[in-house]
Amino acid sequence: MGAPSEGRLIRAESVEAALAASASGARFLAGGTWLMRAPVRGERLSGCFVTLSGIEGMARVEAGPDRVEIGAGVTHEALAAALSGLSGLGALRAAARGAANPGVRRLATIGGNLCAVDFAASDLAPALIALGAEAACETADGPLRLPVEEFLARRAALLPGALLRSVSVPLGPARSAHARLPLRKAGDYPVAILSLAAVIEGGAVKAARVGVGSVEPVARRWPGLEAALAGAPLDPDSAAEAARARLGDFAPRDGVEAEGWYRIEVLPALVRRAAAALLAGDAG
Amino acid sequence: MTVTLRINGDLRSFATDPMRPLLDLLREDCLLTGAKSVCREGFCGACTVHLDGAPVPSCLVPVGLVGDREVTTIEGLGLAGEASDPLQQAFIAEDVVQCGMCFPGMVMSLGPFIAAHPGASAEEIRQAMTGNLCRCTGYERIVEAALTALGAPR
Ligand SMILES: Cc1cc2nc3c(=O)[nH]c(=O)nc-3n(C[C@H](O)[C@H](O)[C@H](O)COP(=O)(O)OP(=O)(O)OC[C@H]3O[C@@H](n4cnc5c(N)ncnc54)[C@H](O)[C@@H]3O)c2cc1C
Ligand code: FES
Ligand code: FES
Repeated sequence: MGAPSEGRLIRAESVEAALAASASGARFLAGGTWLMRAPVRGERLSGCFVTLSGIEGMARVEAGPDRVEIGAGVTHEALAAALSGLSGLGALRAAARGAANPGVRRLATIGGNLCAVDFAASDLAPALIALGAEAACETADGPLRLPVEEFLARRAALLPGALLRSVSVPLGPARSAHARLPLRKAGDYPVAILSLAAVIEGGAVKAARVGVGSVEPVARRWPGLEAALAGAPLDPDSAAEAARARLGDFAPRDGVEAEGWYRIEVLPALVRRAAAALLAGDAG
Repeated sequence: MTVTLRINGDLRSFATDPMRPLLDLLREDCLLTGAKSVCREGFCGACTVHLDGAPVPSCLVPVGLVGDREVTTIEGLGLAGEASDPLQQAFIAEDVVQCGMCFPGMVMSLGPFIAAHPGASAEEIRQAMTGNLCRCTGYERIVEAALTALGAPR
C-alpha cells in the first residue's frame, strides 16, 4: 500500500481501448463498490484496472418513444432520478431507489451491479428481467445484444472478454412493481427480491413477467407463476397462493443472511406485496 | 502513480496506489482522522466525506477515481463549537453525541440532505440515515436534532 504503481489504473476513452486493456489482463472498474470490498471478502485487489467512465455515453440515460437506453456507468441515484415521470417502470425505479444505502447508490452503477458475477442480490436484475430489458455488450467479435436474464446466466463465461455498454428497457403498456425483503433496514442485502410486470386489459392479466433475485445464485424469470397469473384478474391473495403452489420451482442458495428454505418461504409474501403495489399504482 | 487531489480547498499531490481507498489516504497521509475506518464495506457510513458536495463512503472510493472533484472532510466544515452548520449546532445544543464514532459521518451524510430538503419529515431523515450506523444513541435523538436544525416544530 502506498507504493507508486504506474499503469495500475488506466482510463479508457473508447470501447476498443477498454477491450484491449481487458485482453491484456486489466479488470473493468465502474463505481468500485464491489471491487473495493475485495479485502473484506478475503480476496486481493491485485492487478490492473481500467475505468470506463471516459467512454462516450456511459453515464447517459436516453428516453425515446419506445425504449429507455441506460448507459452502464449510470449510478443507482442517477437512474432513480432519470426514471421519475416515465410510466410503467415502477419496478426499476423502486429497485434503484431501494438498493443499498444513499452513499452507495451515489457510487454503484447499473453495469457494476449486473457484472459482479458472484453477487446474487442485485435489485436491478429482477426489475430489468420483469421489464423485458436487453443488455448491450461489446466483445472482441463485435456487439452482442441479449435479454438481461440470458446475460446474467451467461455472464461468468462472457465477461472476461466483454464489456456491458448499456441496458435497453422497452416502454409498453405493462405496469410494474418491486418487492424486497432485507432482514434489517440498514443497507444489508435482501434475502429475496421479486419484481412483477403485468399488462392488465379488461380487468384481467393479459401477460405477466416475474423476475426473482437473491433466491438462487443468479436472478431469473418465474415462468410457472407468469403462466398462472395470466388470464385472471390480478388479486394479491390469489397471486400469493399461486406462488406458494410453485415454490418447488427454485433451488435456493444458502448464505450469511438466510438459509435457502427461508428465501423461498418469503416469496408468496413478496408476490402479494408486489401485486398490491402494482394495483395501487404507486409503482408507476 | 501521482494522484493530485483537492482536499478541503488545498491542491495536493501524492505518490500512491490509485486503487488505495480515499479513506486511508485522508487518515494516514493527510492526518485527517475525522473520517473513521470501521466496516470498510460501505455499510456503516463512519467514513463519509463529500465529493463535490455529495456524501459517499470514502472506504469504497479508489483515490484514482476522485479526479478533479473537490474532497471535503468533516475537518473542512470548520471546527465543532464554532460550527456554522446548523446540524452540528443542534447536535451540540441537544447533547446528542455519545461515543462519537459515528458522528463525523452523520454530519457529512445528513448535512447536505437537510440543506436540500428543508421540509423533510422524521421518516425521510431516517431514510437518509440508512447508511449511517450508530451503536450508542438509538437514533431517535439524532433524528430529533436534525428536525431542530430544520427549524421544524415537533
Ligand atoms: C453496503 C452495501 C450494500 C449493498 N446493498 C445492495 C442491495 O441491497 N442491492 C443491490 O442491488 N446492490 C447492493 N449493493 C451494491 C452491489 O453489491 C455492488 O457493490 C454494486 O452494484 C457494484 O457496482 P459498481 O459500479 O460499484 O461496480 P464495481 O465494483 O466497479 O464493479 C463490479 C464488477 O463488475 C465489473 N464491471 C463493472 N462495470 C462493467 C461493465 N460496464 N462491463 C463489464 N464489467 C463491468 C467489474 O469488473 C467488477 O467485476 C450494496 C453495496 C454495498 C457496499
Ligand atoms: S468504513 Fe466506510 S462505510 Fe464503514
Ligand atoms: S455515538 Fe457511538 S456510534 Fe454513534
